[in-house]
Amino acid sequence: MAPRWKWKGAEAKALAEPISKSVTELQLSLSKTESSGTLSSSNVLLAVEPEQAELLDRCCFGRLVLSAEKAKKWIQLSFEEAFFLFYSLKCIKISLKGRYLEDEVDTWTYMKSKRPNFPIFYKAYSHLRSKNWVLRSGLQYGVDFVAYRHHPSLVHSEYSVLVQSGDSDRLIVWSDIHCAVRLSGSVAKTLLTLYVNGYFKGEDLNLPVCLENFTVEEQTISRWSPQLSREDETTNSKPNVTPLLSNLKNL
Amino acid sequence: MEEKDWEASSSSENEAGFPNDDDDDEFHSGGSEPRLQFRVGSSKARWIAELGMAEVEVKRGKLWTTTGIIRSGKTYCFIEEALYLSEIGELQILGSEDDVVITLKDLYENIAEEKSGCCWENYEVYRYLKSLGYILGRHGVSWTSKNAAISTPSGQEESVCSGECPQEKDTITQLLVDMQIFDAKAVYDVYLPNSRFKKSSPNEPSFVACFSGDSPPSKEDIKVLRNRIAAPLMFCHIAQGRASFFSFSSIDLPVLP
Repeated sequence: MAPRWKWKGAEAKALAEPISKSVTELQLSLSKTESSGTLSSSNVLLAVEPEQAELLDRCCFGRLVLSAEKAKKWIQLSFEEAFFLFYSLKCIKISLKGRYLEDEVDTWTYMKSKRPNFPIFYKAYSHLRSKNWVLRSGLQYGVDFVAYRHHPSLVHSEYSVLVQSGDSDRLIVWSDIHCAVRLSGSVAKTLLTLYVNGYFKGEDLNLPVCLENFTVEEQTISRWSPQLSREDETTNSKPNVTPLLSNLKNL
Repeated sequence: MEEKDWEASSSSENEAGFPNDDDDDEFHSGGSEPRLQFRVGSSKARWIAELGMAEVEVKRGKLWTTTGIIRSGKTYCFIEEALYLSEIGELQILGSEDDVVITLKDLYENIAEEKSGCCWENYEVYRYLKSLGYILGRHGVSWTSKNAAISTPSGQEESVCSGECPQEKDTITQLLVDMQIFDAKAVYDVYLPNSRFKKSSPNEPSFVACFSGDSPPSKEDIKVLRNRIAAPLMFCHIAQGRASFFSFSSIDLPVLP
């Protein structure tokens, strides 16, 4: 599926301002101000300056928390987004209950304790983010993430993403496949599964370095319609009695 | 600065963009049924139990350019081909011993008992695609062969030609497949409707129809089949008269600028 740019000139704008460039700018800015996020049971709250909020928006990290405060902006980050800024980009600090979590393992352990599937989801998230794809929550489409080629204001997302792993209980029966593919198709996206390979037992997951031992396999699942693919003369695409009989004449 | 919700602001995010295919796959139209009658002077074939195939004795119509395999100048058809042609009134099948007509009931029983390498699910997909004009052959069986006799066809992907078939690149995989360790099987080579189709040079199929049974194929099964087969794979799922075809494609999203 080719990228669907939202307006004329959007593609040119995207080319002129690649995501990677915005991310680097963001990284530098946050490091300089030693920005710090507060960890809670479901997200990380980051206080930033207005220009930084703008940069975060440009790279699609987090959601702005509306407030009357002018000098400071509050951004709510998901665990994946926060850990990416903290561990991969190394541009924010994380604090819990007023104390900085200097050791990455502490943040990892905390996030893992709140969401047991966090390690696998993070691997999938960072896999695509490292390729400069933009990932947002896929909840409203019934999936884990949606992947954009650039900022959502410029382009429609191409992929709806489901994360799978060895002991995964996703896409187990045929109706799961039908459901996920139909949902994706109805919003003009291709279903993409990210299969995370690795050992997920006990101690293996204790350190974020376990991420280095995981690999991610990408796979698309799509449905093919026999009616629409024929190169023959009959253009009637709805199956009913007439094409059946007219086909007989062609045999 | 208001919160910008880029997803919600564009209503076209939810446009379908694709034709509504709710009714696409119901090939039982329910109401009126086609009135099929045996063509006067339809083709005739004789069932050979040991082979699980029918040997064609009388050919009528152009359908034989896209049905049946040729061995030593004779045409043979598999159970699914025989059953389909019988259903649409194009073929009468006679018993090996005498000229007693083998009924649809007998053929359906054969399929239900999977006696000749075809199960009901395979047959439903075969019939569905044939009725849309596609050309189907059993995977691993060549359409023609110069000098081979037929060996017993089975549900497995054995070649019935005399070594002129492309060699299996991975013989261990073939052994495992024959042992049916894997749940997913490649069943039909499918070609787009083509009035110029030639059995002597069919070219590569448009795709190979695979079945994984009760559940979707596992990652490993897909890998094994993909290593063995160059053509695109479609996994078929048919239930309650609804046929769906899914492709599982390995990709590698590009690194963006």
